[in-house]
Amino acid sequence: MINLPVLDDITKILFVLVLATAVLIITVRTLSSLFNIYSVQSWFIAAVAFVMYLKTGSIVLLLLTILTIAGKAFLVPYVMRRIQKSMNMKRDVEFRYLTPIGSILVGTAMIFIVYWSFSKFLPELSSDDLFIFGAVIGVSLALMGMMVIFTRKRMITKILGYLTMENGVLLFSLFIAELPFIIELLIVIDLVMLIVLATVLAFGIDSSIDEFHTKLNSFTLWFKE
Amino acid sequence: MLSFLIYALVNTVFVILISPLFVSLIKKVKAYMQGREGPPLLQTYYLLGKLLKKETVYSGNTSLIIRITPYVNVVCVIAASLFVPVIYIPMSVGGIGNIILFLYLLVCAKFFMALAGLDAGSTFGGMGSSREMTVSAVIEPVIIIVFAALSLLLKTTNLYQMFAISLKSSLFINPSTLLISLSLFIILIVESARIPVDNPETHLELTMIHEAMLLEYSGPDLAMMEISHAIKQTLLMAVLINVLIPWGLTATPGVLSVSISVITFIAKGAVLAIVVGVFESLFAKSRLFRLPNLFMLAFFFSFSTILFELLR
Repeated sequence: MINLPVLDDITKILFVLVLATAVLIITVRTLSSLFNIYSVQSWFIAAVAFVMYLKTGSIVLLLLTILTIAGKAFLVPYVMRRIQKSMNMKRDVEFRYLTPIGSILVGTAMIFIVYWSFSKFLPELSSDDLFIFGAVIGVSLALMGMMVIFTRKRMITKILGYLTMENGVLLFSLFIAELPFIIELLIVIDLVMLIVLATVLAFGIDSSIDEFHTKLNSFTLWFKE
Repeated sequence: MLSFLIYALVNTVFVILISPLFVSLIKKVKAYMQGREGPPLLQTYYLLGKLLKKETVYSGNTSLIIRITPYVNVVCVIAASLFVPVIYIPMSVGGIGNIILFLYLLVCAKFFMALAGLDAGSTFGGMGSSREMTVSAVIEPVIIIVFAALSLLLKTTNLYQMFAISLKSSLFINPSTLLISLSLFIILIVESARIPVDNPETHLELTMIHEAMLLEYSGPDLAMMEISHAIKQTLLMAVLINVLIPWGLTATPGVLSVSISVITFIAKGAVLAIVVGVFESLFAKSRLFRLPNLFMLAFFFSFSTILFELLR
């Protein structure tokens, strides 16, 4: 247990960096850079968990740090890169509903709304400003992940959106409701399952949801015969 | 008052002398990244010296504007250089150091440059001016927001006080400094006409913005335009450096402390120039319509700085 004010400041710097990676995930078009950014984001979140461990001394947080690094900074990006290789596709340039510029604007507004709504009741729960900070950044990250899901057309980037959302939930849970470790573990396993499932889907789709229907329709012809 | 005059003289001369070095350094770094030898570090000085010796040629169609623009540009950026202390932080005299005035001085130079581009009536100049103004119309509001966020963060609109405050505090006390620095870096890239916004290497190509406006210039006039561009770049670099890593900058005048400031500034500026060079090499010139994307990033970062400030 170390209680230094510098730990709080380091956490705030990490929040700033997490936010920067989140906005890059919205705008970047090259797939390999997207995976790298996700990996870096996971490193930052692991670092937040580690700093929390130093502060509280809770062993669960240390395990969470190790799990995050192993799972999200190495395993998940590795699997994603393998999927990308087999899909033979380098960039995701298609957007719908919102252009990246629009997404950034909406993202900015979203952070503000989250801050505004949280500032109404969170100060009553805890007076620690880090607590509010973490909650706001966590929820905003989750919402930004959701935005990635609906603005990107390619399946593989949508998966990255889910993963970003999960990172946001993790960050939120670190500060607000401490999830029991076992649930966290299950979430990570779920994630790997999600990616595996998504791979299967992605092979079928190889690119976008719209093409999936035509591909499935060609299969239905078999059953009709 | 006397100490301020000494500051004004030394700071301005130092900024003018150091600016071409950073320009060459960025070129050198880019050359290395492309596997070339690159020009010598003093190349920009030789170039300016050569241009100053040559005669000036004006097109017959031009008016007074093209003749006064180099002087307006140089005067504006030199006046702006008073606002950004790099040798030591003096006491503010008569509103010098005001951030809004600083921005207006830079915009004034830009405005005259755009007018001069139109003046000769050549197609390239007009195109350059039109593009410059289009980009400015989008980036200027973002710049205002970025500097507003900076003022909110450091609780003052005076650049001298800002640097004095950032000198006392650190990244740990003000983590949002990191976010605002990202915005300032984007502004540096945009305002100094670098890739991905503009390509400083090209001439007579359809992609150019800044160079297109200078096509009509020759001789000492061109030298003045080049040096004012270099000074502007150094000033924006200095703002970024003094906000993010002000270590070494001193608040007390004195031979030893000032020389430490000068040496550390050259070192930090060189590092930043290398970063800019590497950044430029990593990206390709982006399409004109995709530029707002970059500006939006700057906007986002400055907006979140404001939000972080509210959260604290």
